[in-house]
Amino acid sequence: MSLGKFLIRKTAIAIATMVAVSFLIFLALEVNIEEVAVKVLGQYSTADQRAAWLLQNGYNDPFLIRYLRWLANFVTGDWGQSTYYRAPVMDMVLPRLGASAILAGGALLVIIIFGLGLGILAGMRPGTVLDRVISVFSVITTSIPDFASAVFLSGIFVFWLGLLPGASTMISGFSFRELILPVSVLGLYSMGYLARVTRASMVDVMSTHYIRTARLKGASLSRIVLRHALRNALITPVTVIMLQLPWLLSGVIVVEVFYAYKGFGTLLYDAALNQDIYLIEACAMISVLVVVLSQILSDVLYGWLNPRIELGAKA
Amino acid sequence: MKALTPYLQKPLVLIGGFLAFGWLLVAILAPVLAPYNPLQTLQPLVKPLTTGSNGEYFLLGTDMLGRDILSRLIWGAQTVVIYATLATLTAYILGLSFGLIAGYAGGRTDAVLCFLANVILSFPVLVLYIVIIVVIGASPVNIVIAVTFSSAPAIFRIVRAITIDVASRDFVKAAITQGESTWRILFIDILPNTTGPLAVDFCLRLGYTAITIGTLGFLGLGLPPPTPDWGGMVNEGRAMAIAFPHLVVFPCIAISTLTLGLSLLADGLREVNDAKERQA
Amino acid sequence: MSDALLDIRNLSVALPKGADRPFAVQGVTLDVKPREILCIVGESGSGKSVLTATLMGAAPKGLSVAGGEALMAGQDLLTLSERQWQKIRGKEIGMIFQEPMASLNPALTVASQIEEVFILHSDMSKADRAREARRLVEAMHLPEPDRILKSYPHQLSGGQCQRVVIAMALAMSPKLLIADEPTTALDVTTQAQVLKLIRELRDVHGHGIIFITHDLGVVADIADRIAVMRRGEVVELGTAEQVLKDPQHDYTKTLIAAVPSLVPHDRPAPEAAKPALEVTQLNHAYGAKQVLHDISIAVAPGRVLSIVGESGSGKSTIAKNLIRLIDPTSGRIVVAGEDILGAGGEGLRGMRKRIQMIFQDPFGSLNPRRRVGPMIARAAVLSGASRAEAVTRAKELLELVGLERSAYTRRPAAFSGGQRQRIGIARALAMQPDVLIADESVSALDVSVQAQVLDLLADLQKRLQLAVVFITHDLRVAAQISDEIVVLSQGHVVERGPASEVLTRPQHPYTRELIAAAPGRDAF
Repeated sequence: MSLGKFLIRKTAIAIATMVAVSFLIFLALEVNIEEVAVKVLGQYSTADQRAAWLLQNGYNDPFLIRYLRWLANFVTGDWGQSTYYRAPVMDMVLPRLGASAILAGGALLVIIIFGLGLGILAGMRPGTVLDRVISVFSVITTSIPDFASAVFLSGIFVFWLGLLPGASTMISGFSFRELILPVSVLGLYSMGYLARVTRASMVDVMSTHYIRTARLKGASLSRIVLRHALRNALITPVTVIMLQLPWLLSGVIVVEVFYAYKGFGTLLYDAALNQDIYLIEACAMISVLVVVLSQILSDVLYGWLNPRIELGAKA
Repeated sequence: MKALTPYLQKPLVLIGGFLAFGWLLVAILAPVLAPYNPLQTLQPLVKPLTTGSNGEYFLLGTDMLGRDILSRLIWGAQTVVIYATLATLTAYILGLSFGLIAGYAGGRTDAVLCFLANVILSFPVLVLYIVIIVVIGASPVNIVIAVTFSSAPAIFRIVRAITIDVASRDFVKAAITQGESTWRILFIDILPNTTGPLAVDFCLRLGYTAITIGTLGFLGLGLPPPTPDWGGMVNEGRAMAIAFPHLVVFPCIAISTLTLGLSLLADGLREVNDAKERQA
Repeated sequence: MSDALLDIRNLSVALPKGADRPFAVQGVTLDVKPREILCIVGESGSGKSVLTATLMGAAPKGLSVAGGEALMAGQDLLTLSERQWQKIRGKEIGMIFQEPMASLNPALTVASQIEEVFILHSDMSKADRAREARRLVEAMHLPEPDRILKSYPHQLSGGQCQRVVIAMALAMSPKLLIADEPTTALDVTTQAQVLKLIRELRDVHGHGIIFITHDLGVVADIADRIAVMRRGEVVELGTAEQVLKDPQHDYTKTLIAAVPSLVPHDRPAPEAAKPALEVTQLNHAYGAKQVLHDISIAVAPGRVLSIVGESGSGKSTIAKNLIRLIDPTSGRIVVAGEDILGAGGEGLRGMRKRIQMIFQDPFGSLNPRRRVGPMIARAAVLSGASRAEAVTRAKELLELVGLERSAYTRRPAAFSGGQRQRIGIARALAMQPDVLIADESVSALDVSVQAQVLDLLADLQKRLQLAVVFITHDLRVAAQISDEIVVLSQGHVVERGPASEVLTRPQHPYTRELIAAAPGRDAF
């Protein structure tokens, strides 16, 4: 399959997924119009007020009509008004998305550098002390919940050593120091996971016939690893990195709440606490969109790295 | 006992088992172990290792409402064990049934089920929880529902993959050519051959679920107060953590040790499985 | 023995504690001279692969040299450090492997993998390396050398990959080559070509070659001297002539007796009987790819029809159609007078018991979680027997296929490959079928076990008057058991007839090629 055809097929699946997701979101949040009215107008609105509001905003139309209208609006950039902040949802979401992208981007960098590095070191010579230490380290980091590692790291670096700020509000402008803790907490979980995947992949590759061939040609260990093993061993981990984005997005919520960082996660969190349904809808749609796009990217990377597999044959 | 020996020879598995089963024991014996009623207000914000004004001894201190932290941790173990197990089990029932069906039937059934699973899995887990909790509210039953809804698709995928693998083996073809019924093929030929990897996944998933329940509690979207819940304790104590770190550190240690124990146990199971497979 | 390339003296390799024997290789003394092919023959578990791995300084984990020496140009290979080994591997000793495709790095081109040997062991310039690599590829008689050099391994066939591996092993013209089952994974016609190439290496280039194989036919074709290994020890060593014509050790005698020959067995002339299985105009396509073209075969009760073909010939697709795991695009399959393709649901279930299959892989065809007896009894129940009858039948069948009664309560893991195939046969027979399909049912077995299972099949087939379709890639095995042979090539039947006719007077060029390629056909 050619790259173009492959991309078209993947995009079609992605669009179908997005349509299904949008339907689920709309179904969950807006099927009960009485509740919508309560959420928008508040607990203390009268029944008459709600009825009038519903009529005015087309809520008495059939569900499917409402869904299609909502979807059309969403696609064309009309994401509605936040009921709590009284501002257009889109204007609120986009800057926050940028702030979270800085956080997630930093975490991704940490994950890639340390996750791949530690995994390769451990998988080169399975069974050695170095391998065991790295393996135990990655089990620990993948077992601790984000909020707990935030508590532990803040305890050490903020309260005990006093090296770093305990909140990342960025009130007085962008501060790199304020990013260090949230990025570390965010990176820790996926880093351990990636290290485990990389190690397993490396161990697999190191026991293949073609590595034996290279060894029996007279190649040294460093040459075997660099020239023969790495490219094959990195295929899985690289695709896994992209698939970590959903986890990262979940982590973003916890970390942003913990460090009071003004990003996409806190926006969604506050929206949930405020029952701000249009904002919730937009945030949910955007986060799923990010995940779906990352899946396409992951598939493309996989096909590109692996000369054996024709694009699309994986499925 | 003989079946257990390969597990007992690995120190990490022993540690994992000690942590996981230790917490299970604490959960079961909570009424006996807890020194005080976890909901009773005694004396607010006592530091750890201190004797209170009425002569009570607080090993881990008390919270701002004056409740004994040790007692709340012990009862919190019961909360997490009950809800995590319940939620994981219900998710497994769903994921296992649909995974077996999709993996064995293939074709259109498989395609439809896979698409649905993918749709749910496209949500970052926490976003999905938040949407669900916003719609149905935070209650113990709703938490179980939310966790089931979001982990069943992941279990479905794993079961489906294993089923496809097992179903491609010749003994399943042999059963088909004998005219064996589909149900017997699913439950006698396929299911028993999936238990190894599924046991590993069950352990891990139990840990994830505990993390999820803790995280929801931390976000204030979990079990409603005053239920003793580790995540909730961190949430309540966060505002005063600078002056009273014991409010948040102990619950964090509790949940981390539980999930670490489950991960180590899962690792051990996997290693022994792999070794068995290599032998065969 | 000063002229020997490699002189192995009293070599022992210890197995880890708890293994079924203390040594993988025990007290082996061998030598290889220039311009000589030494064949090491043995069945699985004989220690032949451990021996060669040890000679390359790559013994599997957990195994350690317990004594002896392996001298090459006065140097004991067993005492070398990893760094010293790196200078010897590829330069002094070249190695050829069993799985050619898997032995090449999927992410690198053929050219870069061959040239790497020069990078490691010489200081040739880039241009020289490329020229030498091309020369090697040409010397391996590979077509279109420039395309091959630019290709990745997955773009080549198995035979082409094996030539590339050989080219790599020869790059520095090492005096000694070690080849571990180099043709086992190849089709028989490809095997013949690779064997020819290896003989050429000896005759033209004067290499000394250690050739490990389980196949005495291959040995007969290329060996100058033969060492027979069993349970870690060399039980017989001599010239090819001596060992094959006048074997001394009992084990060698059994091995030679078990080698299937191309001479067809005498089988009584067919009685005119209504066929138990009749296939007419069977076509099958996977998507747009047509893999079977108008296949028609018929087998009478008590007769054996072999379908012989190489990989990709479509022979396994026929088997899957016959047992209705997949449905043909068109055609008719009639068993005992009834069309089984029309049946569905209950009707199909009744039909299934009439046509049963014995599978290829003795390890995959039995559910590891079920006990053997109930597994067989269940088949009997499905064929309509009562519970009590089924248990009795299962016990009888176990005895019939030559297993102990105690097998009833054990699980498959307790049995060897040959025993598992017997259990598979018992399970198929428990349904009391009219037709039995055997799809490569003996190919995974060691040759001595293979002979036993073949005898069992032939015996049961005669006693129970079964119609058997025997599917195999190995003409020699087909010769042992068939009344009739059908030769399949790329989905077409190219030749059919009584076994003796097809084997002695083949009409189609492809059949002739197959027969010419059958290893050891002059010796046995």
